[in-house]
Amino acid sequence: MKNMVKLGFIMAIYATVACVSLAFVYAGTQKVIAERQKADLEAALKDLFPQGESFEEVTGTLQSPDSSVSFKNEYVIKQGGTPIGMAVRAVGASYGGPVTVLIGVGTEGKIAGVKVLENKDTPGLGANAANPSYFVDRASGITFYGQFKGKSLSDPFEVKGDVIAITASTITSKAVTRVVKTAGQAAGTWLAAQTGGSK
Amino acid sequence: MTLFKIFISAFLIDNVILMRFLALCPFIGMSSDEDKSVGMGLAVIFVTLLATSATWPLYHFVLKPLGLEFLQILVFILIIAALVQLVEFYLKKSAPALYASMGIYLALITTNCAILAVTFDNISKGYNFAESLVYAFGVASGFMLSLLLLAGVRNRIKTSPIPAFLKGTPILFVAASLLSMAFMGFSGLVK
Amino acid sequence: MKRFIRIFSNGLIRENPLLMLMIGLCSALAVTTATANGLGMGLSMTFVLLMSEIVISSFRKLIPESIRIPIFIIVIAAFTTIIDYVLKAYFPDLSKAMGVFIPLIVVNCIIMGRVEGFASKKPLRDAIPDALGMGLGYTWVLTGISAIRELLGNGTILNIRIMPDSYQPILFFVLSPGGFFVFSLFIAFNLWLKSRLKPLEEEQA
Repeated sequence: MKNMVKLGFIMAIYATVACVSLAFVYAGTQKVIAERQKADLEAALKDLFPQGESFEEVTGTLQSPDSSVSFKNEYVIKQGGTPIGMAVRAVGASYGGPVTVLIGVGTEGKIAGVKVLENKDTPGLGANAANPSYFVDRASGITFYGQFKGKSLSDPFEVKGDVIAITASTITSKAVTRVVKTAGQAAGTWLAAQTGGSK
Repeated sequence: MTLFKIFISAFLIDNVILMRFLALCPFIGMSSDEDKSVGMGLAVIFVTLLATSATWPLYHFVLKPLGLEFLQILVFILIIAALVQLVEFYLKKSAPALYASMGIYLALITTNCAILAVTFDNISKGYNFAESLVYAFGVASGFMLSLLLLAGVRNRIKTSPIPAFLKGTPILFVAASLLSMAFMGFSGLVK
Repeated sequence: MKRFIRIFSNGLIRENPLLMLMIGLCSALAVTTATANGLGMGLSMTFVLLMSEIVISSFRKLIPESIRIPIFIIVIAAFTTIIDYVLKAYFPDLSKAMGVFIPLIVVNCIIMGRVEGFASKKPLRDAIPDALGMGLGYTWVLTGISAIRELLGNGTILNIRIMPDSYQPILFFVLSPGGFFVFSLFIAFNLWLKSRLKPLEEEQA
């Protein structure tokens, strides 16, 4: 009995040392990770809205009407103080896990651009949703997410209809399209109300 | 995704061995005959389901709320090791014949990457408890299926002419390569 | 010094973990779709192996025999977690590309095998070259397999185009069946190499 207690104690010491060191490493790396995520987001927003000068986080402004799509962050992009667009970072369920998409909407009811931030789908198949070298239209060099640029928010957003799917990855294509449609339309409506009201 | 789709994806489309390359050591080491494959397969199914039942609640009700996600690797592997010890202990006492016939493979289940991968996937794919169990069952069954298939192929290899430089392990990997190609055909199954 | 080199080269060639001992295979096939991934995985695993062997060898007299396995697991898991978070922070693309295989380093049979069979019984001056040799032995094979797969399946190495533009990449090689196939050729080659070296070694002995 005494031996078991002694053994348990020794194991506890090793475990504690391990956990404490891990806590330190975790705390240290979290800072770096958070900073980089912020920088990545700024770069992504700049990419969607090249004329944007500043962006303001307005998370909580939009409610997702679809329970399978959740809005994580919302940003208003401004140029010279006037809102020129809105970006939503939304998450929806895809084939291999959740897919995170950044949707930018301009003030004319059109999508400014889409970026697939994170997805856990199969490389070579669903993961091509985020691949800048995978073209749904080889001739014009349009990527899967690139096809949403300039798209009107009043379009049906049907895969294999007005949205070109990724070959053999219909689930992923539908998942991303659903997120883009839900977030895009919510942002578009909000923006229209804002700019309509400020007239 | 519905539970059935999760199962089929795990069982066939993203087969743990043939498509994801996990659990290769038992794949090569234990597939020499069908009986061993079944035994190993059933043991893995059992341990994977147990491991999921233990790790999923632990992550969602303890690690995450306390902000201790960074202990995930440590905690999960210790749980699996402990579970395998318990299973070994229990089998030794209550079913000594079964225990004897399983021999070393029981202990080797701890280092079976597929089981640890399943516990990690359950978290990263955001599955709820039911989905996790179905996924675990699908993955482990896919493991058993692949083992049985290779055991069958190995039986045929014994009586076939193999070029000298491929004799032994290399031809097994070529066989695995062909099986893997066949499984790729399943990729359009779930739309 | 000679002893250091002997133990070090053991892991590289004579007892190469992947090709000779045939352990630690899982990550070897899954992450070798691109040279950067193979190299990254190899170096990450070497880090965990080296640190684990150092710690366990240094404390080998203070680890009770009966609970050694759980303690080994704690040490290996701790270093695996460390490399996981370091990669997430400083090499996020690599971390995402390797995905679940970084945490899986903890069940890499090579690490557990060396720690149990070697580091727990040998002094630090032997454990270090062993870890370096085994780790780099693992790394060179991984890098080799990924270079071939990336070259044939994508026309590039480290994302630098090597094949002429007219080369149509053979997708087979970067997909699962290709992995198994390339690996079988590596093993066949290594077996052949072993059979050629054996008579030489016997002559020397």
